[in-house]
Amino acid sequence: MGSVDTHPGWKERVNSALRTLSQVLYGATGYEFARHALEMRRQAETLFMLATMGQLVGVPILPPISALRLIPHFMPDIARWKREMASQKEIWEREEFELHGV
Amino acid sequence: MNALIAVIMGAATVYLAYTRYARRIDRNVIQSDPKRATPATLYMDGVDFMPTNRNILFGYHFKSIAAAGPIVGAIVAANLWGWLPAMIWLVLGVAFMGWASDYSAIVLSVRNEGSSLSAVAHRLISPRTRTILFIFIFFYLLLIAGAFVGIMAQVMDSQPKTHLGMILLVAMGLLLGQMLYRWGVGLLPATALTVGIAFAAVLAGPLTEGLFKGLNEFFNSLTGGSAIVTYFDPTLAGFKGAEAKIMPSLLFWAIAICIFCYAGSVLPIWRMAQPVVYVGFWITAVAMILGLLGASLGTFIKPEVAQFQIPAFKGWNPQLGPSGIMPLWPMLFVTIACGAISGWHSLFGSVGTARQIESEADMLPVGAGAMFAEFLLGLLALLAVTVGAKGPPVAAFANGLGGFISVWGLPLEYAVSLAFATFIVIVLVVTQLIFRVMRVTLTEWLGEAIPPLRNQHVASFISVALAILLVLTGTWIYLWQLFGAANQLMAALSLLLVTIWLASVGKDWLYAGLPMIFMYVTTVGSILVTAYNLYFNVYVPNLDAGRLLPAVGSGLMVLVAVLLVVAALFIGFDGWRAFLKYLGQPAAAARAATARK
Repeated sequence: MGSVDTHPGWKERVNSALRTLSQVLYGATGYEFARHALEMRRQAETLFMLATMGQLVGVPILPPISALRLIPHFMPDIARWKREMASQKEIWEREEFELHGV
Repeated sequence: MNALIAVIMGAATVYLAYTRYARRIDRNVIQSDPKRATPATLYMDGVDFMPTNRNILFGYHFKSIAAAGPIVGAIVAANLWGWLPAMIWLVLGVAFMGWASDYSAIVLSVRNEGSSLSAVAHRLISPRTRTILFIFIFFYLLLIAGAFVGIMAQVMDSQPKTHLGMILLVAMGLLLGQMLYRWGVGLLPATALTVGIAFAAVLAGPLTEGLFKGLNEFFNSLTGGSAIVTYFDPTLAGFKGAEAKIMPSLLFWAIAICIFCYAGSVLPIWRMAQPVVYVGFWITAVAMILGLLGASLGTFIKPEVAQFQIPAFKGWNPQLGPSGIMPLWPMLFVTIACGAISGWHSLFGSVGTARQIESEADMLPVGAGAMFAEFLLGLLALLAVTVGAKGPPVAAFANGLGGFISVWGLPLEYAVSLAFATFIVIVLVVTQLIFRVMRVTLTEWLGEAIPPLRNQHVASFISVALAILLVLTGTWIYLWQLFGAANQLMAALSLLLVTIWLASVGKDWLYAGLPMIFMYVTTVGSILVTAYNLYFNVYVPNLDAGRLLPAVGSGLMVLVAVLLVVAALFIGFDGWRAFLKYLGQPAAAARAATARK
């Protein structure tokens, strides 16, 4: 067997450079929309969590029996919700999307 | 000297500073370890804490820190002191301070479980540092808003060929938000449609110049051609000072800008602010890339657009107004903030970017790399104004950038129109965000004590009104320098935090401590000089002439300057005490630094 050439050829190098460029471009453009869409979904989920788990933080909205029925649906989100409720956020953390480029 | 040599020198600066200095600090002092878990991986929640590819994060961070700052600062500095001091400061600033400030803020957050600067300051320095940070941020925003609205209204009033582009930029931004978030159109087709139309409108600007000139003349005819407000402006007549007039057309454009910013402040961010910034980004990015490449190629293809026109050095203390002083030290170092070093970057980097760092090995290319890229943007702005030469500072920049773009075959008139539009776009989209953050900061800071401020319309209206009051002083250069001082004080605060943290964990703190001392002393000195200038050059002449509004505006700015100095003294005192405390007992502090969340 001959030796294996580990150096990438010019095609690989060009492809790698193009991939890097497209990732940088995506980071500067579409990534913000993607993050903001996730943030909007999280806000909706937090509202839902508050409606069902509100008793824990002194905001009783749904009766506990209804919350119990819903628990299996939001089980994976409980850790995140706990952290969000417990952590204090400054405006430059909460309004992070509005700080871009200022 | 020509643009090509400057571009080569800039590229060499980036290469040498990154490979010979920044990498060494990363390896020997910070000792970044790719195997150590980052907050993004430890606390991944899919939104705030999210491990992200380093290339994507670089683009995201660069776009977040690069705005109008490096452009306006370079324009003002080149006109005051010449291109050589501005270029030396850009090079030395980014090589020894700028990258260190941005990178270290990210490191500080990553090594402290994703905590923001204020949380670390609360723990390492004192609880009142958070309040001081609020003061810095609010006045930072107020000053930059005043400076930007003032400069933009003047440029729009004098450049009717840019109006069509700006109107359609806003319209396309609104359409893009609707398409993406409501109609579910893909990003690529929505971008192609909206950015394409906005671009066409910007390029077609000269065709509609007559129409908008007629509109301006109509507004001015309402008062029979007389001014609404007259004030003394020390920046006119080649910085000798002269009477300035606010004509009805200028007031119209200032109000139009404020209405736009007001809407951007109160509407949901996806509806207006975010998509307008996105459309604007494409226009400015294309113009800047064409400009940077044109500056390099112009030496061979069109040498006349690449030759430096303004003097290399104009003096150590150029006079600005009848009794103003403008000593190179300390004023140059706050006039050019972004591009050399900026505190805002640290604030943003510690919350937005640090929580997405996938591996510690990414901290340097993302934090320092983006700062070096912003330096290149500042260098391009400096080159543009240096080769442009003709007219007031912004016009010189537009002529220079237009010349670079014309290398690609676009007729000079259209290229200059695109350059003017680029300047207005980048400032306009930033200004709407400034008012948005200002509104939120005002509510957070004073909402408890003054409940009406919790109403977003009240807070937005007050923010806009304060900015307009500053605009009526007519001295956007002083506003700009005070803004630069607030920004650089934030940089000093960030470097102070890093210095204290490094001391607290027993690491070599000199790479952050020495720039911190320089920025702290320089910034306090610059604020005192600006306060002196404002008092003797603006407040006294306008008060003597019985002009109330400019006198009130400049008086307010003097008060802001005093407040910034007091805040800086508190920070210096608290920081020095904390530094001495941790220097003596690093191990105890290291334990304290891990307790959060």
